[in-house]
Amino acid sequence: MITQEDYLQTLKEKAESAADKPAALGPDVDLSQFYLCSPQERIENPEEISPQLREVALYAGVDLNNDKTPGVYLQVDRSAVYQKMQEAFKGKMEIMSVSEALKKYPELWQYWWQLVPVDTDKYTAFAELCPAEGYFIRVFANQKIEFPLQTCLLLSEDSGIQNVHNLIILEEGAEANLITGCASAREDQAGVHIGVSEIYLADRARMNFTMIHNWGERFHVRPRTVVKMGANSFFNNTYVLLKPLLSLQTFPKAILEGAGANATFRSIILANEDSYIDVGSSLVLRGAGSRGDSISRVCASDRAQVFARGKLVSYHDQAQAHLECKGILFSREASIVSVPELEVYGAPQSRLSHEAAVGPIEQEAINYLRSRGLKKDEALSLITRGFLNVDLPGIPPALKKYIDQIIQVTSKDLM
Amino acid sequence: MNNFMVVGVMLCLDKLKVAVEDKVILKEINLTIAEGEIHVLLGPNGAGKTTLLMAIMGMPGVQVIGGGIYFQGRDITGLELEERAQLGIGMAFQKMPQIPGVTLRTLGELIIEKHGQDGSLAETAERINCTYLLDRNIGFGFSGGEAKRAELFQLLLQQPLFSMVDEPESGVDLDNIALVGSVLNDLFERKQVKSKKRAGLIITHTGHILDYLNADMGHVLMGGKIVCRGNPRDLLSDIQRSGYEHCLRCES
Repeated sequence: MITQEDYLQTLKEKAESAADKPAALGPDVDLSQFYLCSPQERIENPEEISPQLREVALYAGVDLNNDKTPGVYLQVDRSAVYQKMQEAFKGKMEIMSVSEALKKYPELWQYWWQLVPVDTDKYTAFAELCPAEGYFIRVFANQKIEFPLQTCLLLSEDSGIQNVHNLIILEEGAEANLITGCASAREDQAGVHIGVSEIYLADRARMNFTMIHNWGERFHVRPRTVVKMGANSFFNNTYVLLKPLLSLQTFPKAILEGAGANATFRSIILANEDSYIDVGSSLVLRGAGSRGDSISRVCASDRAQVFARGKLVSYHDQAQAHLECKGILFSREASIVSVPELEVYGAPQSRLSHEAAVGPIEQEAINYLRSRGLKKDEALSLITRGFLNVDLPGIPPALKKYIDQIIQVTSKDLM
Repeated sequence: MNNFMVVGVMLCLDKLKVAVEDKVILKEINLTIAEGEIHVLLGPNGAGKTTLLMAIMGMPGVQVIGGGIYFQGRDITGLELEERAQLGIGMAFQKMPQIPGVTLRTLGELIIEKHGQDGSLAETAERINCTYLLDRNIGFGFSGGEAKRAELFQLLLQQPLFSMVDEPESGVDLDNIALVGSVLNDLFERKQVKSKKRAGLIITHTGHILDYLNADMGHVLMGGKIVCRGNPRDLLSDIQRSGYEHCLRCES
């Protein structure tokens, strides 16, 4: 049997072999241009979190003032700065930094780098070879945590690398909602965010996971997410990016192992300025009756380049999934490339479908709204908001307002 | 006689000439609708009835190439669509466009916000049997009759001084046509004996709506011209008996 020591040694070797391996997709980032941030001190009293950080967190969907939150985790750069769980949830769930969790529960190494291969590319290798931090969330069997947990990953230093590795485990029949906000302290900031997330959903576990990114305009972002799903489990992921950055490349994957597993990925992308965005999701259907959707809504303006990918892979006759990609191009200098892939291996009865459409906002719809007395820009922002369908359950009202503002400003460029 | 400046006139079209994609659709339309009056527009398919409503509303793509449109004495020929809506012109369309992610409720709330009417969204929806449609996205999954009611629902919230309705009875089953008629009576304040002000122009093919709503005047539009005017019921029975050709003789 493989020991923990052997395993960790193998990981290190694999990571070293991939240290210079560019990612399969997206522009290559020279990590040597950035540096690992210095550690930050732990805060015990939430009052010590600066108003500026609170605001940054809020606009990324995490309300640090909300005391109804069952559990909250705040990471600044590569340090777990603040974490708290409400007393009432003790014995139902855990939320803490992943480094503490690995110390407290050494057996967790059996989940570590099991879903995301450590040698995927130089970013995963970096996450292993350089000190990483992240959150650990475990919800115990049959516990249902209704109110959303909140995790927030902020990067405060200019030209820093945030090196994150998260681990989420929902035991059998457990339910949780999670809002994760990732943001930089300033809009004009440069930096790199590497985020490895490994999510384990046991049989009948259910998770809603909303992720909001608000990075600086000179940022490179490389999330690496894989979800493993047991029988009749449910995973609903929404990813929202509305602010410009240099580059984002992510292609999260759900592996639907168990019978009746159900996964939905939704990407809501408002790409502007010079953003290079390569985003998508992939579903691997292995269980009988497993099913899912991969949905993206993209608006590209200014000089943004967007690749919207979706990949459905079926190994089971009774599996079905649908891929949907819709885009609106707001500018002559922007581009949207939709890349759908459907793959079926030895399962002739499985049903995979895709639907992709890139087109303008219908003039007829704008005129209809204007005939009700809406101004042209009001009509455009209403249509854009509806198209992106950013009505996200559980996000703070301040963020809702903020999202509306961003959309309003962007859709004005249309005129 | 030009009566577009006369007090008490809601809408006046003066030698209105309209083109769509450079093709002339309406030639020299003269039409005056006084405050408190409802007029109906009859005519065969392709006569330009919907184009006339679109021109009054100010829909882009419908170009006025001659003459003018006057609303309450003001020349609105050059005004933008939303400016006309804000002045108090409203329209129930024959076809609802699809607007993904925008529900009838959201739009209804915006209309209330825009037009400052004190009507309650919920009560109005109940009045026109639209409550169950409120959370549907505009244009998605509406049957013909549902779309019609959703259009009238928006007009009720908007409360325009001048409402145009494009075929209120099309796609509406017999049970609902009475409801549509009664809602139009509300919209035009027909039950009020005095101080009737609101006016309208309704396109009808079948004339069924006239069983529920008293119209003051009918116009027959053919080949881009108004060829006949008169009592709407008389016009309709003539047309039912002898077809639209009969109206052409009327012109000469």
